[in-house]
Amino acid sequence: MQNNTRRKMVEMKGVVKFFGRLKALDNVSLDVYDGEKVVIIGPSGSGKSTLLRSVNRLEEINAGTIIVDGHEISDPKTNINKVREEVGMVFQQFNVFPHKTVLENLTLAQRVVRKRSKSDAEKIAKDLLAKVGILEKAGEYPTKLSGGQQQRVAIARALAMQPKLMLFDEPTSALDPEMIGEVLDVMVKLAKEGMTMIVVTHEMGFAREVSDRVIFMDEGKILEEGSPEHFFKNPSHERARQFMRQIL
Amino acid sequence: MAALADDKKPHLEEARPITIDVGDGAAIPSKKDVGLFTAWRVAFFGAIAIIVYLVVFKPDPYLDIIKFVPDGILVTFQVTVLSILLALVIGLFTGLGRISKNPLINGISSLYVEVIRGIPLLVQLFYIYFALGRIVQMPPLPSAVLAMGICYGAYMGEIFRAGIQSIPKGQTEAARSLGMTHAQSMYHVILPQAFRTILPPVGNEFVALLKDSSLVSILAVADLLRRGREFAAESFAYFETYTVVALVYLIITLFLSKLISIMEERIGAE
Repeated sequence: MQNNTRRKMVEMKGVVKFFGRLKALDNVSLDVYDGEKVVIIGPSGSGKSTLLRSVNRLEEINAGTIIVDGHEISDPKTNINKVREEVGMVFQQFNVFPHKTVLENLTLAQRVVRKRSKSDAEKIAKDLLAKVGILEKAGEYPTKLSGGQQQRVAIARALAMQPKLMLFDEPTSALDPEMIGEVLDVMVKLAKEGMTMIVVTHEMGFAREVSDRVIFMDEGKILEEGSPEHFFKNPSHERARQFMRQIL
Repeated sequence: MAALADDKKPHLEEARPITIDVGDGAAIPSKKDVGLFTAWRVAFFGAIAIIVYLVVFKPDPYLDIIKFVPDGILVTFQVTVLSILLALVIGLFTGLGRISKNPLINGISSLYVEVIRGIPLLVQLFYIYFALGRIVQMPPLPSAVLAMGICYGAYMGEIFRAGIQSIPKGQTEAARSLGMTHAQSMYHVILPQAFRTILPPVGNEFVALLKDSSLVSILAVADLLRRGREFAAESFAYFETYTVVALVYLIITLFLSKLISIMEERIGAE
């Protein structure tokens, strides 16, 4: 999948992150190309969420460099808000705004950050709500929605900014099993449209269907990377083999 | 292998509900607390009944007292409302300062809270009116409002801080991930949500401040208590006057507590 004529969307070099004395990221280097879909797997506490969260500086790193869309975000002088406008993020706990209606969830940042007019923002929002299949809930408050619906609102909210890169942090882990499908469907649709995506997930079905590359992390390091098939058939690292046995 | 719990860390905080409890002012009569609810009714209607009884059956001196003190009620409300507005503004900035990562701003806000909470309100009133009066002479009412606002601002700051911190971290992260600045996410996402948590304790502070406003009577502000003192000094009817003053304070604070509990129920029902 490494095609050097393609533009790098994310470039991480020698990234180190400590939580107190714990080394959450241990000299991690990773490139993600424009249009690529990368799935990160690994046991709990392996640093995969930390890696994802450092891409939009929700976690500040202690050493190394991270370049996102040509901006070095590990440089404190970089205006991180400008970079974040281009990087959508979806959280495990949805984090929809409970005091705003579904429609307002989608228009808030468009208006405040992108400075779009109310009518422009609402048009984009409604198109996206239709796309994720919850247009009829536009006027509701998110607390009235199921987890799957809330997560679809959260995805649509991130997409409303028309980002170049989407980060997904275990988007289906907090969902009841019967709602996982509806969220994954939206993500598959998005992947097929060519969005650049980094996804932390245990959903190997999703990985097999859309990902170009799977990355296995353990103890803050990238231990192995390869195609989804490679991980299904014969991961070379013992830790990866063990992990795959557990989740399949 | 689970030594690094970072993957799960942000989510643990979301499950923890925080309630702010400020044990000041009259108790807010919640319908759940049947004993208190009954007590509220007995006290409120009892106080009104006693006043009506006294005025009707002993018009001398009670009718005269009832005619004399209402001017003071207006002043009491004036002092209370102005002070609470000042305290809200100071409290918002203090609360934001107390959670600021900037050590200077954080230090100043924390110092303000510590110093103010460590000095009795009465001493603060004296200090601003009499001690600072040697440098800047202010009329009694602005002095009173300034002193009460500064004092209650410190307490209000702690309420704002707790209210802001009660909002899950994920809300800030979601807002910031969308490209909002710190100020934008505060204004559009955090404060509107914190407001619901903050409202009941702020209402409680309002009632507490109304009671404490009786202290300003020593600064020659003609509030409810001061009017009572003036009447009593002329008529020597100390027992009768202060009975009425106490009952009027009681009726006002009970009435306000009730309003707050209704407001709280409405917010909870949304």
